[in-house]
Amino acid sequence: MTIKTEEFLLNLGPQHPSTHGVFRIILTLDGETVVKAVPVPGYLHRGIEKLAESRTYTQVIPYTDRLDYLAGMLMNWGYVYAVEKLMNVEVPERAEYIRVIVGELARIASHLVATGAYAADIGGLTGFIYTFRDREDIMDLLEMISGARLTPSYMRIGGVAADIPDGFIEKCRRFIDYLPDAIEEYNGLITGNEIFQARTKNVAVLSAEKAIDMSLSGPVLRASGVNYDLRKARPYSVYDRFEFEVPLGTKGDCFDRYYVRLLEMEQSAKIIRQALDQLPEGPIKGKVPKVIKPPKGEAYAEIESSKGIMGTYVVSDGSTNPYRVHFRRPSFVNLGYLDEMLKGWKIADVIAILGSIDIVLGEVDA
Amino acid sequence: MAKGLIKGLGITLKHFFKPKVTVQYPEQRLPLPDRFYGKPEFYYDKCIACNMCVNACPNRVIKLETETVDKKKVVTKYDFDQQYCLFCGLCEEACPKDAIKFSKDFELTRYNRPDIKIEFVQPDQVERKKEEIKKAAAAKAAAEAAKAKEQEEQKPADAGEEGS
Amino acid sequence: MENLFVNMASGMRSLLASAGLPDAATNFVLMFLKLGAILVYILISALWLVYMERKVSAYMQCRIGPNRVGPLGLLQTTADIGKLISKEFIIPRCADKKLFLLGPILIFMPPLAVFAVAPFGKDMVAIDMNIGVYYFLAVASLSTVIVWMAGWASNNKYSLIGGMRVVAQMVSYEMPLILSIVGVIILTGTLNMSEIIRAQEDVWFIFLQPLGFLIYLIAGVAETNRAPFDLVEGESEIICGPFTEYSGMGFAMFFLAEYANVVLVSVMAVTLFFGGWHAPLGLTFIPSWIWFLLKVYGMIFLFMWFRWTYPRIRVDQLMEFGWKVLVPLSIANIFVTGIGKYLYQTIRW
Repeated sequence: MTIKTEEFLLNLGPQHPSTHGVFRIILTLDGETVVKAVPVPGYLHRGIEKLAESRTYTQVIPYTDRLDYLAGMLMNWGYVYAVEKLMNVEVPERAEYIRVIVGELARIASHLVATGAYAADIGGLTGFIYTFRDREDIMDLLEMISGARLTPSYMRIGGVAADIPDGFIEKCRRFIDYLPDAIEEYNGLITGNEIFQARTKNVAVLSAEKAIDMSLSGPVLRASGVNYDLRKARPYSVYDRFEFEVPLGTKGDCFDRYYVRLLEMEQSAKIIRQALDQLPEGPIKGKVPKVIKPPKGEAYAEIESSKGIMGTYVVSDGSTNPYRVHFRRPSFVNLGYLDEMLKGWKIADVIAILGSIDIVLGEVDA
Repeated sequence: MAKGLIKGLGITLKHFFKPKVTVQYPEQRLPLPDRFYGKPEFYYDKCIACNMCVNACPNRVIKLETETVDKKKVVTKYDFDQQYCLFCGLCEEACPKDAIKFSKDFELTRYNRPDIKIEFVQPDQVERKKEEIKKAAAAKAAAEAAKAKEQEEQKPADAGEEGS
Repeated sequence: MENLFVNMASGMRSLLASAGLPDAATNFVLMFLKLGAILVYILISALWLVYMERKVSAYMQCRIGPNRVGPLGLLQTTADIGKLISKEFIIPRCADKKLFLLGPILIFMPPLAVFAVAPFGKDMVAIDMNIGVYYFLAVASLSTVIVWMAGWASNNKYSLIGGMRVVAQMVSYEMPLILSIVGVIILTGTLNMSEIIRAQEDVWFIFLQPLGFLIYLIAGVAETNRAPFDLVEGESEIICGPFTEYSGMGFAMFFLAEYANVVLVSVMAVTLFFGGWHAPLGLTFIPSWIWFLLKVYGMIFLFMWFRWTYPRIRVDQLMEFGWKVLVPLSIANIFVTGIGKYLYQTIRW
């Protein structure tokens, strides 16, 4: 006797506990196996690029916070870097160092969320709470320096908003010294767990060629073994003065994508330590006119954000408002291969694969 | 084989007996840094109605209205529509006189929507300020008048002197 | 203390007898009272376990957990249930209304029925059935059907997937569960729960059947749908599995039934492997029923500890693990136990 079977459609999201926000995937399932997946982004679209056109150059900064709200500092940086390039502004050294410090702190915070949320996606909620406990320290540090936890709006065109407050450096050092213990704890609870490994190893293997073809970047690319980190490949700011390694994965499976982030946190801590040691004295803001009016022209600048290469394209028509601002959002680009990656895996793997890419919906939908 | 599984159990059990990190919020509060952006505060007397904050705001949260009394600008309205505020601090940065500041008060929820909007300027404040200006103007005018009178009084005297 | 409940029962019996009731009626009333007491115990236990779970999880996650409602937050679950009762019970338009309503009504039946044969202390068993273990296995697996029915009736794809997972998981884990118990039955030669406990007077069966216990533990966790085998609910994958569409008290019933099942599996584990109400190390001054409950809650703590440490296994891995690892292991366990018993008997003779 043959049993008549049928594929069926499952709407995963936009309201779903583990799509990291309001992401929607239309799955065609054969039992529990995914036959076809159609990702539908756009539920958190706020039109930040369009909004930027009616704001002055400085006023765009708070909006960039809301792109990747888990690493707002890096988003600030990407934007001001492009405007500085457009205006040919020299950024003082101290400001560059402060940017590196807060930027790497934001990267650690973002990776902590990625790690914890991934553990929760796989089903272990406790890892989530542990990473958030440690992220709280970073949030305190960022709050101390910028006045806000998630949306710092800290960087300014030509420098940063304010100098380092008293007690920040000591607190930062204390956190950096504590971080390795925390990472060891995550390794014990999450990474080393056999069930976790069974769930993630050899799942959705992404080859280096495919990753490059789809122009993926960040930990997702490096997990496939491609050594491409803008901080090393094309050093911007003062990154050429620090010693650090670019952690690489070997296989390009979910486990590698997860583990590369853990390793990157250690490297970020290393960079912060060096930056704190080398921190020079001096002004924190370059010579920038009060009313920012860049000359006619355009500029594109890229930085390595926690999710990948964050590019900002700014076109100026000579007025106080940008003519056009475009953000190359790494989360969005990294999703490009999702439908292919999901094919043939189970429903549970859909969550695991989506989590391993580490998307932030604010950035995907902009 | 199950080394990782047992190690994980060890970690959670260790934390079972460790001190907790929870802060019992309404009773216990963490100290906030000085730069915290909480509820905005407006210092009426410091404001010179230069409109810098209004122009600095990305979301046009601030409504500033002035009245000219005796060639002097008097702020009659300074509305801060908090629901659209991004708490970016650009207004504070733009202000040349530190008239707008952010306090550490972060409990900004309100029961009614109209309460969200903060109207900083009270009518009596405006009246007082207007009065002050008027008084100052009057005093000034009086002083000037007195001065003029004095001068005038001196003038005839001078004239008289000249005449004599 | 030791005979508190036994004395209560016999006092009640003599009271009823002196009131002039015939024997049959006395027995009936007494049985009714016993079952009522068990029902009250299950409900209070479920409430307490929700609280305990929240506290245990909080403590393992560096948190404090509920501490506002009542002293130490003890009334938190009561308040939660109060809230759930007052909520609207929404029936989806396309749901099979009768089955949908029947799910939460029936879900408490199997655990309640099974508790009738659970020996809570010396001479403290509502019905001393001589096929107790068999009865437990037969009735406990009924809840599969009810959960599947709820999932099917909801007419929701997530519920359907959850319901299918229930059936697959239960069928594959019932096997090792039963086979792991067979070892104990070989050793005692009886299916009566009280007899099994009495046989553990000198040595608990966990020392004679360590592999059997391990298999029982794993299969038991899977039977109760708890992490790492909580695929049925799989919060991060299929929202809440078969209970996705349930709201208010309907949801609360499933929620509490899960805990009733946890108690059930723990009670069985204590009965079969931890010597039931026998006091360890000769600490007999503590009443037997307190020992029994202590052991049960120790087992439940173990379940909670697992849940808050481990991530979730995938559905194909679950099947693989069940059929390729647990079933062969449990069969091997039976084999070894049989040979062991035979050798022991021959040498002794």
